[in-house]
Amino acid sequence: MNLPMRALAAHFRAHLAVMMQYRGEVLLWSVWGVISPAVLYAMWSAAASGSSSGVIAGYDQASFAAYFLMMMIVGHVTAAWDVYEMGYLVRSGSMSAQLLKPVLPMWQSIGANMAYKVVTLMFVVPMWAIFAWIVKPKFQPEWWEVAAGLAAMVLGSALAYLLSYVMAMAAFWAPKLDALGEAFFALSMFAGGRFAPIEALPWYVVPVAKALPFRWMYEFPTELLVGGRLSGAETVWGLIAQLGWLGVLVVAFRVLWRAGLKRYTAVSG
Amino acid sequence: MPQIEVENLSKVFRVPEREAGFVASLRSVFRRRYKEVRAVDGIAFKIEEGEIVGFLGPNGAGKTTTLKMLSGLLHPTSGTVSVMGHVPWRRESDYLRRISMLMGQRSQLHWDLPAMDSFIVHGAVFGVPKAQFDETLNELIELLDIREVLKKQVRSLSLGERMKCEICVSLLHRPSVLFLDEPTIGVDIAMQARIREFIRDYNRKYGATIILTSHYMADVSALCRRIIVIDKGRILFDGLLPDLSQKLAPYKVIKIDLDRDLNGYDLASLGDVLSLEPRKAAIRVPKENAAAVTSRLLTDLPVLDLTIEDPPIEDVIQRVFGGAATQ
Amino acid sequence: MIRAVRLIGLFIRVSVQNFAAYRFDFFVRLFVSLGHLFGELLAVATVFSNTESLAGWRVEHMLVLVGVFRIVAGGIRMFIVPNMRKVMEDIRSGSFDFLLLAPLDAQFHVSVREFVVWRITDVVLGAALALYGCHKLLGTIPLPQVVLFVFMMIASFTIVYAVWLTLAAVCFWIVRIENIEMIFWNIFEAGRFPIQIYPPWMQWGLTYLIPVAFITTFPAASLLGDPVTGMSPRVPLFASILALAALLLSSWIFRRGLRRYSGASA
Repeated sequence: MNLPMRALAAHFRAHLAVMMQYRGEVLLWSVWGVISPAVLYAMWSAAASGSSSGVIAGYDQASFAAYFLMMMIVGHVTAAWDVYEMGYLVRSGSMSAQLLKPVLPMWQSIGANMAYKVVTLMFVVPMWAIFAWIVKPKFQPEWWEVAAGLAAMVLGSALAYLLSYVMAMAAFWAPKLDALGEAFFALSMFAGGRFAPIEALPWYVVPVAKALPFRWMYEFPTELLVGGRLSGAETVWGLIAQLGWLGVLVVAFRVLWRAGLKRYTAVSG
Repeated sequence: MPQIEVENLSKVFRVPEREAGFVASLRSVFRRRYKEVRAVDGIAFKIEEGEIVGFLGPNGAGKTTTLKMLSGLLHPTSGTVSVMGHVPWRRESDYLRRISMLMGQRSQLHWDLPAMDSFIVHGAVFGVPKAQFDETLNELIELLDIREVLKKQVRSLSLGERMKCEICVSLLHRPSVLFLDEPTIGVDIAMQARIREFIRDYNRKYGATIILTSHYMADVSALCRRIIVIDKGRILFDGLLPDLSQKLAPYKVIKIDLDRDLNGYDLASLGDVLSLEPRKAAIRVPKENAAAVTSRLLTDLPVLDLTIEDPPIEDVIQRVFGGAATQ
Repeated sequence: MIRAVRLIGLFIRVSVQNFAAYRFDFFVRLFVSLGHLFGELLAVATVFSNTESLAGWRVEHMLVLVGVFRIVAGGIRMFIVPNMRKVMEDIRSGSFDFLLLAPLDAQFHVSVREFVVWRITDVVLGAALALYGCHKLLGTIPLPQVVLFVFMMIASFTIVYAVWLTLAAVCFWIVRIENIEMIFWNIFEAGRFPIQIYPPWMQWGLTYLIPVAFITTFPAASLLGDPVTGMSPRVPLFASILALAALLLSSWIFRRGLRRYSGASA
């Protein structure tokens, strides 16, 4: 096993232990991922029954339930918080310590990220189950939608992580700019389909949302796993788009990382 | 009439037992096990107004706990305390206005504000009349030499500057009794000396009673005539500093680093050998022999480095008070 | 009493003075405030481009609710969150002792000493939005409704304060829990939308068990004066009882925590 993989495995194990220690805090963080979609489900379900057709953007109450339950799951798998933390790491100088190690600081972050997702499963899975029992969601995916959906979820997770990290690197130039994390959050909410299916957004926002990568992280896997919304062709194009964005972000990461390091070591060392 | 009277004071803490390992930590969720820690165990003393008293003892001896009970922060498990006629933990407003506590490792200044703002707030909270506040503030600023740092954010001050501001804020309401808990910890030697000098001057000028805890012998010997030695919650010695020095049968520890191996040089004839390596050694000698032994070592051996140290306070207490300390 | 008011004035003055030193920051913060508002308005636009009624609420009603949510969110971050976070931090660092050494009631002291003045932008923007939405619907808003609204907002803030005080007091028992405030934010999230979107059993829970309804929905409803939004004559009465009870309970919990902190026999 090469060095980055070994580092990753070590960080993963270490963070598993830490998170078990702090399970109270971890639980509280993970609840948010359930509450927000649940509240939105209640809202859209009320909106749908209040509309003349009972259906909004092709979703009725039961399919909204499926949509938002899926959003909880996809949201869990795609969680990435470097865009919020990097500013602090740079300001406090903790980044310096990480840069002294023979592997990229990114591997520690990935290790922590994966550990969090594993540990929180024990809290969120029961919550998902309770939610499903209350709202009775309607899923109807074909087998190929499930397969594609799972692949899309993995790709979407990598995409979300990378985008968060790439945006986080603005911290090298502007360590005090915490607003970037908020921007990421807002964009993932609207342009990602977490607030509402993108088709439901006002007409002037839809093209912007479709051009951004966020939809491939959240809405795309969700639609596939809810089922019955995308054609085979759209699915294939979607997966290609995910891979395309992934490629773009990998390049962006390399370029920005080098530039960012130069700037960081020049300014603070 | 003593200003401070403490009688049969005890503080017992119930501490949950922490066990390592996953299974043990699961078990502790359901059934907590506690053990009792007697932090302070039946101590008694009287202090007159204007005295400077040092509480000396190793870490965990009960000094800070005692101070917290005197200042009203902690309720004792049993015993009585009377300071200026008040029962401290009733936290009467009149009492709190007449005492002050400085804790070496904790800050009472607001980090994001200039020190001056913290001073003004302190004055308002303690209800200090404006005229008196201005007068006291100016005096303290002069005495502590902090005029230039007042407008800077506390977070950007050096440790020494911050300590001076902490001292200033704790004295703004002209307390009659001062509790100082490890006031010089973490501060460099020059600043330690300046702080001690300031405390001495303050006591002389205002007659404030000062109780100081420390595990540095130097703090205590520089300031206090009277010393109370505490270990494991019990008072081992309460008397004047000169008496303590005599009782300690003073020793020095000489440590040497050599250029070549000792080769069987007879160190044991010079004093008690504490540690012995081919090129390094430490021996303990009576104070009066220290100079002679040092020059002997320097003559006989190729010494690269030599230090002469006081034995650590824990050692001293162990040696002198022997069994009592290990109960 | 006068002394208390004077002290509050001093704390506010200190905060304002120190903020004035960072003028650039102010514009950034204003921009961020506007950003939040924009996001919330986009949400409203999205909902109402798909339907005319959200559980009986029309778009103007929703604007008022968003305004109220902003006011509460801003107000909380102006004078509740900074104080409660400092309490939790102080307990963890041991600096809480200094609070006990001050000749001032501890609960009063910890509740008023911090103040983040620039958050007033959220409050002002929220109030403007709420008044605008109401005006669009009703024309001139009758004075009694405005008075009732102010009263309901006071009740709302009292309940929020009580929840935060309780969460902070938990630190007296469990020192280590770092993000206990998430409990509040999670609950608060449910107040973004009218309480009527939830199934009846949940509405009941969010009114009588965890009174989220009194934090945002009912104050908005009281300004609108419209039964469709949940306003009824019983609401102000319940709000006052609830606010009072919450205040008393949380104060009691805080004082119990103080006793525990200073090792008084329980």
